[in-house]
Amino acid sequence: MRLSPYIAYAKKCFLGRSAYRFDHIMDIISTCMQFFIFCEIYKALYGGSSEIDGITMPMITTNFVLAMGLNAVFYPDDYFLPNKIWDGSIATELLRPISFKGRMIAENLGNALFSLIFHFLPVLIIAVLTVGVSAPASAVMFLLFLLSAALGFGVLWAISFAVQMTAFWLINIWSLITIKNVFVNVLSGSMIPLWFMPEWMRGVLDFTPFSSIYFTPVQIYLGQLSYGEIALKCAVQLVWIAVIYLVGDILWKKGQQKLVVQGG
Amino acid sequence: MSFIEVKNVSKTFKISKRRSGVPGMLANLFVPKFEKKEAVKNIGFNIEKGEMVGFIGPNGAGKSTTIKMLSGILYPDSGEINVGGYIPYKQRKSYVGRIGVVFGQKSQLQWDLPVIDSFELMKAIYSVPDDVYKKNLSRFTEMLDMSGFIEQPVRQLSLGQKMRADIVAALIHSPEIVFFDEPTIGVDVVGKETIRSFIRELNEQDNVTMIFTTHDMQDIEKTCKRLIIIDEGSKVYDGTLSGIREKYGTSRQLDVEFGCMEDISSIDKVDIIELENNKKRFVFESRDVHINELMNHLLSNYSVRDINISEPEIESIIRRIYNKEVVEA
Amino acid sequence: MKDVLHLIGMYTKTTAKSWFQYRVDAVLKSLAVFLREATGIIVIWFTLLKFDDLNGWNIYEMLFLFSLLFLTYGIMIIFFTGLRDFGSTVRSGNFDRFILRPRGLLFQIIFVNSDWFAALGHGGLGITLFLISAGKVGIRWNMYNAVYYIFTVAGGVLIQGAVFLFLATLNIYLLQTNSLKGLIYWNMRKFAGYPISIFHKAIQFFMIYVMPFAFVNYFPAQYLLRKDDMSDYPEIFMYLTPAVGIVMYLIAYLFWRFSIRFYKSSGN
Repeated sequence: MRLSPYIAYAKKCFLGRSAYRFDHIMDIISTCMQFFIFCEIYKALYGGSSEIDGITMPMITTNFVLAMGLNAVFYPDDYFLPNKIWDGSIATELLRPISFKGRMIAENLGNALFSLIFHFLPVLIIAVLTVGVSAPASAVMFLLFLLSAALGFGVLWAISFAVQMTAFWLINIWSLITIKNVFVNVLSGSMIPLWFMPEWMRGVLDFTPFSSIYFTPVQIYLGQLSYGEIALKCAVQLVWIAVIYLVGDILWKKGQQKLVVQGG
Repeated sequence: MSFIEVKNVSKTFKISKRRSGVPGMLANLFVPKFEKKEAVKNIGFNIEKGEMVGFIGPNGAGKSTTIKMLSGILYPDSGEINVGGYIPYKQRKSYVGRIGVVFGQKSQLQWDLPVIDSFELMKAIYSVPDDVYKKNLSRFTEMLDMSGFIEQPVRQLSLGQKMRADIVAALIHSPEIVFFDEPTIGVDVVGKETIRSFIRELNEQDNVTMIFTTHDMQDIEKTCKRLIIIDEGSKVYDGTLSGIREKYGTSRQLDVEFGCMEDISSIDKVDIIELENNKKRFVFESRDVHINELMNHLLSNYSVRDINISEPEIESIIRRIYNKEVVEA
Repeated sequence: MKDVLHLIGMYTKTTAKSWFQYRVDAVLKSLAVFLREATGIIVIWFTLLKFDDLNGWNIYEMLFLFSLLFLTYGIMIIFFTGLRDFGSTVRSGNFDRFILRPRGLLFQIIFVNSDWFAALGHGGLGITLFLISAGKVGIRWNMYNAVYYIFTVAGGVLIQGAVFLFLATLNIYLLQTNSLKGLIYWNMRKFAGYPISIFHKAIQFFMIYVMPFAFVNYFPAQYLLRKDDMSDYPEIFMYLTPAVGIVMYLIAYLFWRFSIRFYKSSGN
C-alpha cells in the first residue's frame, strides 16, 4: 500500500484548518471558557471542602482540562460519508484508486494533529497558568496515558465510523449522529467526572465503550490505576475498537452493494 | 424613453486584504484593510421592450454585477437605472414581481422535492392566479418537454432537466423581463438547443424582454440580435452580431490548393501560411487588399486546384477583443 | 392577508415535506434535539445526586431554572430558524433569491424555514421540566403569577430573538460569524441554566449586560422562588425581562434596517 496519497490528504486537512484562524482562536477561547465555568461550578459544589470521596479540586480541574482537551482533539468528521452520499459524490469517490476508509482515517488524523498542537496545547498552557493542573503521576504513567488516549481516539473513531455507515440506508443521519454525541458527551466523562456518577451507573458504564474514551486516560494520568488495571483497561479499549470497527466494516460492505446514488 | 435605461452606472467593491500571522489576523479583525475594485465603470445603454440582448465578457468583467444591479440585488454607487418606470433597488417589492431571473449556477428548486412542488411554491410567492398558473405550466412543460420528470424529485434530475425546470420556475408568474445568467452552463447539446428555441419562441410570442449572460457564443448566435460586450467593467461593444464582424472582423482568409508545389515568397500586405499538401493560407485585411486582385493574381500566375474564402469565427474575434488585439476598424 | 397566510402555509408544507423525505431521520430528529439539550440536565441531575444543592438551589429549583431557558428557545426557534441559519443563506447566495421575490426580506427569512424539530425538542424539554418542577418548588400559582410568567416567557423569546437578529445582521458585514455566535450564544447557553450567583463577577456581568441570559431565566425565577442569592442584585431586575426584550429587539431591528442596504451579494 502506498502511503503518500494518504499523507497528502492528512496534510491537506491540517493546512486547511489553519486557513480559518479567526474561528480557531474563537474555539480556543470557547474551550477555555467552558473549562473555567466548570471549575467555578465545582468550586460552588465543593463549597470550601478540600475533598469529597477522596476526589480533590485539583483532580477535578485536571479531569476537565484533559477530557475537554482530548474532546477538542478527537473530532472525527461525522459527516464525511453522509455528505458524500447525500450529494451523490460517493460514486466518483469510490472510483478513485485509493482506499476510501484509508482516506477517511488520514483526514481525521490530519485534523486531530492540528487540534492537538493548536487547540489542546494552548488550552492546557492557559489552564496550567491560571487554575492549575496536576502533573502526571509519573513519567511512565504519562507515557501510558498517551497510549491510552490514542486508544481512546480509536474507540471514538470506530463509533463514528460505524454510525456513518448507516447513511447508506438512511441517507440523512443527523439525528443518529446527534444521539451518538449525547452518549459520548454524558458517558465519557467530558462533562461530569465519572467519579461522581452513582455506583449503579458506573457499573453500567463498565459495559459500554464510552468511559474508555476519556476517563480511562484521565485515571491513568492521575495515577489512580495499578499496572494490572491499566493493562486490563487498555485491552478493553482494544476489544471495543475491534468489535465496533468490525460492525462498521460489515455495514460498509453491505452498504456499497446497496448504494443508492442520489443526483444525476 | 426606453424600456430599460442605464446611465453612467458604476459600482465599486471593497475587497478586504488579508494580512498574515496572528497579529495580522487580529489587525484584520479590528482594523480591516480594503482594496477597491471597480467592477462596473460608467456603463450606459438602453434596451427597448421585447428586445433580446446578450451580455458577454470574460470572467470578472462585470456582467453579473450589472445583472444584479438591474434586478435590484445591488445598489449602484452612482448613475441611474430605470426599468419600465421602476428604480429596481429602491422599489424592490413592486419591481421584482415583474421580472424573472434564472441563475444557471444556482438553482431555486427544492432539492428534495418533486419539481411540481417548487412550482406550487412559486405560485404562492408571486400570488399567481389559478388560471394563469395552469396556462403557463401546461404551455411551458410542453415547450420544454418536461412532462416526463415533473413528478420526480429534483435531486434525481440531470443538469439539463434541472435547468429547464429552473427556467419554468422563473417564468411561472409571466414576468415582463427575464434575466438569464448563464442558462446553458453544463447542459448537453440537445438540452442547449431545447432551451434556446424555448427562449426564442417566448420572446417572439409574448414580447418578453430578455437579457442574457453567457460564455457560449452559440447561445448568442442562435438567440440574440443584439450584443453588448463588457470588459474590465466597461462597455466595449454594443450592436448587432453581424455588426461585430463589420467592425472588428475585417480580416479574411483565403485557402488555396495548388496543382503542384508553388513558391510564393511574398505578396504585399498578405500573410502566407504554408499548409500541408500544396495548400497555402493567405490572411489579409479586407480594407488593405482587394480580394478580386489577389484572386486574379493567384489564378493567372499559378495552377490553382481549389479555392476557399472564409471569415474568422465570431468566437475568435471576441477573444481578440478581450485580448486587445483588435481595434475598431 | 389571506394571501400571506396561504404563503406561510405553503412554506410550512414545503419544509415539512422536505424533512419527511427522510422518514427515519424526521422521526428521530425531535428526539435527538430533546436528548442533546437534555445532556446538560442529565449532568446536573447526576451532579446533584451527589452534592444535594448548588449554592442553595436544589434539583427541582435548578430544573425550573432550566425549563424557562428551553421553553423560550423552543418558541423563539419556530420564528427565527432563518436568522439562526442566515450566515449560510448569505454565503450560498440564497439571500439574492429572497431579494428577487416580491415579499418582505425579514418575512421570507422568518417563514421560509422553520425548524419544527428543534422547536419540539427544545419546547418539549422545557414543558417536561416545567411539569416536573413547577409543583415542587413552592410556588403558589395564582393569576398574577401566571400573567407574570407569560410576559416573562415573551420577554425571554424576544431577548434571544434579538440576539439572533443582531448576529444575523453582522453577516452583512462579515462573512463568517458562526464562531462568534458559538462563543457568545451557544457556549453561554450551556451554563445559563445555572444560578449566575455561583460564577465569577466577569461572567455574571456578561450574562446580565452582554448576552442577558440572566433576564431569560434567573431573575424571573427569582421573582417566583425568592432565593437568598437574589440579595446580590437590584430588586428591579426581577421585573425587567419584558422591557429588556422589547428594547433589545427594537435595537436589533433598527440595526438590521440600517445595514441591509450595505448588502453585497457574494458568490461568483
